[in-house]
Order: sequence, then structure tokens, then C-alpha cells
Amino acid sequence: MLSRTDARAPGSKAPAYRLRLTDFDLTLPALGLLVLFFVVPVAILLARSVSEPVPGLGNYAELLGSSTYLRIFANTFIVSGLVTLVSLLIGFPVAWALAIMPSRLASVVFAILLLSMWTNLLARTYAWMVLLQRTGVINKMLIALGLIDKPLPLVNNLTGVTIGMTYIMLPFIILPLYGVIRKIDPAILQAAALCGANRWQALVRVLLPLAMPGMAAGALMVFVMSLGYFVTPALLGGTANMMLAELIAQFVQSLVNWGMGGAAALVLLVVTLALYAVQLRFFGTDRMGGR
Amino acid sequence: MKKIFALAAAAAIIATAMPATAADLVFSSWGGTTQDAQKIAWAEKFTEQTGINVLQDGPTDYGKLKAMVEANAVTWDVVDVEGDYAAQAGKNGLLEKLDFSVIDKSKLDPRFVTDYSVGSFYYSFVIGCNKDAVEACPKSWADLFDIEKFPGKRAFYKWSAPGVIEAALLADGVPADKLYPLDLDRAFKKLDTIKPEIIWWTGGAQSQQLLASAEAPFGSLWNGRMTALAQSGINVETSWEQNITAADSLVVPKGAKNKEAAMQFIALATSPQAQADLAKATGYAPINLDSPKVMDPELAKTLPDAQTASQVNADMSYWAENRDAIGERWYAWQAE
Repeated sequence: MLSRTDARAPGSKAPAYRLRLTDFDLTLPALGLLVLFFVVPVAILLARSVSEPVPGLGNYAELLGSSTYLRIFANTFIVSGLVTLVSLLIGFPVAWALAIMPSRLASVVFAILLLSMWTNLLARTYAWMVLLQRTGVINKMLIALGLIDKPLPLVNNLTGVTIGMTYIMLPFIILPLYGVIRKIDPAILQAAALCGANRWQALVRVLLPLAMPGMAAGALMVFVMSLGYFVTPALLGGTANMMLAELIAQFVQSLVNWGMGGAAALVLLVVTLALYAVQLRFFGTDRMGGR
Repeated sequence: MKKIFALAAAAAIIATAMPATAADLVFSSWGGTTQDAQKIAWAEKFTEQTGINVLQDGPTDYGKLKAMVEANAVTWDVVDVEGDYAAQAGKNGLLEKLDFSVIDKSKLDPRFVTDYSVGSFYYSFVIGCNKDAVEACPKSWADLFDIEKFPGKRAFYKWSAPGVIEAALLADGVPADKLYPLDLDRAFKKLDTIKPEIIWWTGGAQSQQLLASAEAPFGSLWNGRMTALAQSGINVETSWEQNITAADSLVVPKGAKNKEAAMQFIALATSPQAQADLAKATGYAPINLDSPKVMDPELAKTLPDAQTASQVNADMSYWAENRDAIGERWYAWQAE
């Protein structure tokens, strides 16, 4: 920051582009670390996808030509989409409530949200397992209340994955949404009411459109994160709900077939980067933090 | 659990693993109670005898092992792996040949010895059942595959490995001596009949949890886990009918830093007393033929050793040959 101030000082001969270069220099150690320990290994793995077991695109042909693998791709998108949708449905009212509740209460709710984010992912996932299983707390309670006779299948299937992942993703949608909703002037809603809008109309035609950028940013982030999720689907889903990350782990660790693992990883990477590009194009990076 | 822990624990391992000095030996296994027992029965004795410190690492991860060997940066000296993997990895040049002038193989169970590996311990897939949760317990593989006579979820081992396919074929009436080569079409057809009722367990602890909570009141489990469940006071029944044996193996990755010490370690780990001690702690069977002599006879009765009447041995060399092909088909079928 100092150099920037200096450069702007009258009489400075440093041209503006040099400035940026100076700032950029400071990130070089971090970038170098990232290239060395992240980009290079990923590139090596991807290179193996076209070189093992024989050079060529055979791995990709097998990956995209098999109905099983295509089903796993489709399933990855379905689960991610479902998680995004449910997260939005739950996250929007929570974010809205957070934005309008007294700040002391809001800070308590925030603390709960953040505390859950800081808790170990495996521990949280196991907790859901215990809650959701056929002999778990939820089923036992519903049976005791006489609402059901037979335990509901809540885990080892799509339901379990969706519940577990939505729970983990919620903060990522609530925080950006909260930021956006906070900035909406309450007077606008009053104005809508004065103009004769009922509550539903005020929500659908005023609040939702204004909150749309936050919803879109949060939804995209949750969707992209869900695409690469591993632990939760592996523990709470059945094998029929396998997602791409599990397939990659299977190739790399169990079958020790790194060619196919690399190919599957590249597909995931391309999809993720494409969605990230969409996000950058339409929302920029500044809304991601949900200030 | 092993795969998940492989990822989840990787960070913890990197953070906590002490850098091994040249004099230290690094042993990798699957974590949990089994590795604890290996530490006490083998590693601590080894340090007492040789003064060589043994560092525990894990969980074993075949991807990691391959990466170490390829990069010539092998940090594991002795690794506990599944028997079928050992046979395959030896052939693929990932392992050192074992030095049988140091390791006495004359008393080792020949079912589990190759040029590159010896047994670590062996176990049986048995039929476990929570007696409090059901009216009747399945006794045979045919029972376990009969969802009309025995309704409810059943637990099976998730990973592609010897055990489940054999069970399906036995349930379908294939005689034990005609199992190999495995008729995969027939096995998957049989598995299809119970697929919606299967809950897959990924590690021993999960299999115990499924059975104890009656989430899956019965299933195919490792015998040692059934012993542990019974000891913890849960009312379980184990059927040994056509129990299917498979083994873990001890191997030395190619390029291991402490090869000589590794051979000494394996020699001690497979000695009669060390094998007996491990069996006592885990409920798995010793692979040293002299171990039962030094064991409490009451305890020896609970081991797969005593259940040979209808025992079926998974064919590790068949599996080593076909591991990849079966694996691909297995996971594809699971995902259908």
C-alpha cells in the first residue's frame, strides 16, 4: 500500500503499470507454492490420463462411453442441484430473518452457524448417520408418536445425502444472501405495501428480485462445491448414489488405475472451471464473501 | 472406512508424523484396534529386542504406496495390505522380495506365502446376526441371500475383495471346490436379488455399528469383529458355515529405506508367540502353524483355525490375476 501512495505522489516518475507489477510481486511466493504443490501434481495426474495404460484418449472414451460412468456424472449433477435447491429454500428465510432480527439475537444465530462450520466434517456426518438410521433418533421418535409404523429409509440413499450435504452447505448460501438482503432498504418494502402490494406480492415482486444476485452467487457456489464432495455422500449415500469424487477415489486408491482417475478428475475440473467462469462473468468476485 | 480415513486422516498424518530417522522403522497398517494390537504384539517387542524404534503410520493406501515407489521416496518399510493386493503388487514390481534366510517360512501357513509377502493374520467372513433384533438368524449363505425367509437389511463389505462374490456363488449352490474361476455373471445375478436390501460397510467399526444398532440385523462380517461384539455384551450369533478365509499380508515396498530391519520385523511379527499374541488381542487367526500350541486352548477354539470343517479358502492367486477386472465390474455394478 505504501508504494501505491508513493507512486501517486506528485513528481513520482513511476508509471501506473509498474505499480501493479510491484503489488503482483508480493504474491509470487504464494503463487510459487501453489504452482509447485498444486498445479504441478494436478498436471501430472491429468497427463497420466492420456498416457496410461497406452497413450491416447482411451480413458476418456471408456469414461464417456460407459452408461455406468455417465450415470455417476448425471447423479453428481442431480445431487448437487437438489442440495442447491434445498439450501436455497431453507437458506433464504434464515438469511432474511437474520437481516431483520435484532443484532444481538442475530449474533447468536451467526455463532451457531459458524460453530457448525468449524466442527469436524466427519463428526457432523456421523452425527447425521446416528440421527437418520432406521433405529436412529428421528425414526424412533416418529414411531413413538405413532406417525409411522415402519422406519423411514432416511440414510444410505438420496435422502441421506441431500440432508447431510444441505446441512453442510447452508452457511455458504446464508452468508452471501444475508449480505445482499441487509443492503436492501426496508423502506422499499414499505413502499410496496403502500402501493397496495400484499405480503406475497412484496416478497415475489420486490424482495426476491432484489436478493437475486446473492441467491445466484450462493447457489452457484454451493453447486460447484457439491460437485466435488466426497465424505458426506460416501457415508450417507448408498452405492447407487455414487458421486464423481467417490469414483475418482476408487480409481486412485482401490483400483490403482490412475489413467481413469485422471480422466475423471479432468472432467470434474472442466465442469467446475466452466461454472466458475460463469460466476465470474455474471457476479464478479466481490459478492462471494457475503459482506 | 479405510478409504474415507485415507483422505480424512491424511492431513492429520502429515501434521503429526515424526520424520523417520534412518534408524527408525515405519510400519503402516489400517488403524483402529487391529493396528493397536500389532503395535503391542509386534512393534514394542521388536524395539525391545533390536533397539530399533518403530513408527506407526497409516491407514494403508495403495495409491500412496504406488506413488512412493514411483517417486523413489518410500517412507514405509513394512506395510499391512490385503492378500490379493500383495500378490498383484509383487507381480507389478512394487514390492521387494522377502529374505527367507531371515524370515523362517517353514512354519508359516503356505496359503498366505508368496515370494513378496507372508501372511499378517487371517480372518474369515462369517455370518453375523443380532439375536435381539430378529426372530431367526440366517445360518448359511443361502439364508443370508434369502430375503423372504430373512427379511431386513444385510451388511456386506463394500470394496472389491475376496468374500462377497464367493458368498453369492455359495448361496446359489456352487460347490465350494468349484468356485474358481469365479462365475461373475452368476454371482452378480444372485447379488441382484438382494441388492436393495444391502447396506455396504466400509470398515470393521462400521460393520459392528450396523449390527449392534440393528440397522442391518445380519450380514457378512470379519470374524474378529463378531468376537469383539460378543465381548462387549451384545447378544450376537456367529455362523461359521462355509466361512470364507482371506488374509492380510506383510510386504516391503520396493526401495524401502530400512530393508534389513524390515525383514527382521517381519520375522518377529510372524513368529509363533507374536502371532499368538495378536490373535489373542484381535480374534483373527495366526498364520504361524506353531502359534496354536502356545495359545490358551479356550481361545484357540474361537478362531477360524477351529472352523475348518466347512471352511472355504478364497483363492488369492486367482484374485491377484483378476483383481482389476473384477474391481471395475464390481464398482460399476454397485453404482447401477
